[in-house]
Amino acid sequence: MSRSQSRNAWAFLAFPLAIIALFVALPSLAGIVLSFFEWSGGGSPRFIGMENYRALASSGPFAPALRNTLVFALVTVPITTGGAFLIAAALNAEWFRGRTTLRTVLFIPTIVSIVAIGFIWRWVLDPSPAGLLNHALEWFGLERSALPDWLGHGPWGLVTIMGVSIWRGLGFAVVLYLAALGGVPRSMYDAAAVDGATSWQTLWHITWPGVRPMTFFLLITGMIGALQVFDIVLVMIGTSATGWTDVLNLYLYREFTLNRLGYSSAIGVIILLLTIIITAIQWRSLGGAEAGA
Amino acid sequence: MSERHAILRPNPLSRWLIHAAVYAIALTMLIPFAWMIATSLKTRGEAISSTPTLLPPGWPWQWQWDNYAQAWETANLGRYYINSAVVAIVVTLLAGVHNALAGFALAKMRFAGRRATFTMLLLVMMLPVQVSFIFAYVICGWLGYVDNYQALIVPFLASAFGIFYMRQAIASVPDDLLDAGRIDGFGDFEIFAYIIVPSIKPAVAALAIFTFIASWNSFFWPLIVIDSNDMATLPLAVASLSSQYYTDSWPVQMAAATIITVPLILVFLLFQRAFVEGITLTGIKG
Repeated sequence: MSRSQSRNAWAFLAFPLAIIALFVALPSLAGIVLSFFEWSGGGSPRFIGMENYRALASSGPFAPALRNTLVFALVTVPITTGGAFLIAAALNAEWFRGRTTLRTVLFIPTIVSIVAIGFIWRWVLDPSPAGLLNHALEWFGLERSALPDWLGHGPWGLVTIMGVSIWRGLGFAVVLYLAALGGVPRSMYDAAAVDGATSWQTLWHITWPGVRPMTFFLLITGMIGALQVFDIVLVMIGTSATGWTDVLNLYLYREFTLNRLGYSSAIGVIILLLTIIITAIQWRSLGGAEAGA
Repeated sequence: MSERHAILRPNPLSRWLIHAAVYAIALTMLIPFAWMIATSLKTRGEAISSTPTLLPPGWPWQWQWDNYAQAWETANLGRYYINSAVVAIVVTLLAGVHNALAGFALAKMRFAGRRATFTMLLLVMMLPVQVSFIFAYVICGWLGYVDNYQALIVPFLASAFGIFYMRQAIASVPDDLLDAGRIDGFGDFEIFAYIIVPSIKPAVAALAIFTFIASWNSFFWPLIVIDSNDMATLPLAVASLSSQYYTDSWPVQMAAATIITVPLILVFLLFQRAFVEGITLTGIKG
């Protein structure tokens, strides 16, 4: 622990930490404080205590946006994580053919710009006869009149958003799981083979616990990301989202564009609180101390 | 990546079903992109025909390649391509160096405040951008960054996630290697440059790909800090295509979507080996 090492360490850390402090940490603190003020960006902010939160709780869009955000997070994250585990386990089996190619194909939606994703899916889901999905469903014998409005503001709109979101996130989780599967010790599989376990039993009792730290990582980071869901709704539905398609973050953005900055910050704080609560619940129930990577 | 598991041995029928299911999922990943490219080469009439065809009608030289020229020129994509590329390349290179240096300090150097710094970084990772962006915007305003390259670059020159990721990767480098370097008379920076970086190349590549993709695709922050047309990045420009010019022209929109998608897929295909290796190195494995 030489003095020169301490000096060098802070030299290496100084600039990165300054950037993070200036553009993330301090603005976040200020944002939390701002949620107790009324401010339009010009002039000086006016302190109004809990007024933003009170107004928020009784506002029309808040309850549906909160509900949709929670439904979105609680549906997409487990399905993406569980589905990715099963796919990765299949790809990882030595009898599986085409693993490398499929890994690449599955990963492509993750790297494509959300704007392009929005364009593509709105076109695939277009309600006109030229829309690919409706065309395909009709070919399978469904009546056009019975098909839902995929991009409307009813519950099907939320289903669409969740579906595209799972479609987009699956490959990322598969690639991470593949990395984790390589780390499960071979001796554990050998023990299972000696015990005469079936493939499904082995998968459930050996493989699944073996990748626990990765499952933990994916659930925690997935939830944090899902509670902030924004751009996928913006590009699929637009800022006019309402009813079943509105989410907290989009509500926040609309208030921001109306220059209601304190109110907008209050919604941000709600998202932060949800993040902390859900992360804490997951940390406890999944045994964060041992499983934490 | 270590060896594949020989132990899961379902019967032939199950194997066939598993193959079918996984390939079907992979197909749903590809179909929308195939549809995007097919539509981008059709006329407007062909695209909205009630009996759509998978391939555009006629021979390849009769297809509507002109849609690409239209998307490129109408939305002035050349300019935005340069904006996006400059921002993504500068951010990827500089953030890579900064995050790796900070990760090295946190993983391998002894100094007072190390634990506290690391804990703070983990807390920062939980902060949603929705809480910070208003004052990040205000600070960019004070610094004169708004509507400039700086607004898209400077806030991303280091990140809590990147530092965390680098720290995890560097922690796995054996201390013996570092001690050997010290005996050879290396200082801290030389150890970083000549011992650490070469041993974690795949993790550096993986983080570089993450950073590049995040910067290239970044949408929310540019939407906030960029007002003028000149400084827009590619996603903003392409997004405006749907509202401004061609609300009803799917082929031109699909051509634009193809233009912004293809470079990323190429970058990924080029570096995917290093990328996959890099993920296994970071200590978040099973």
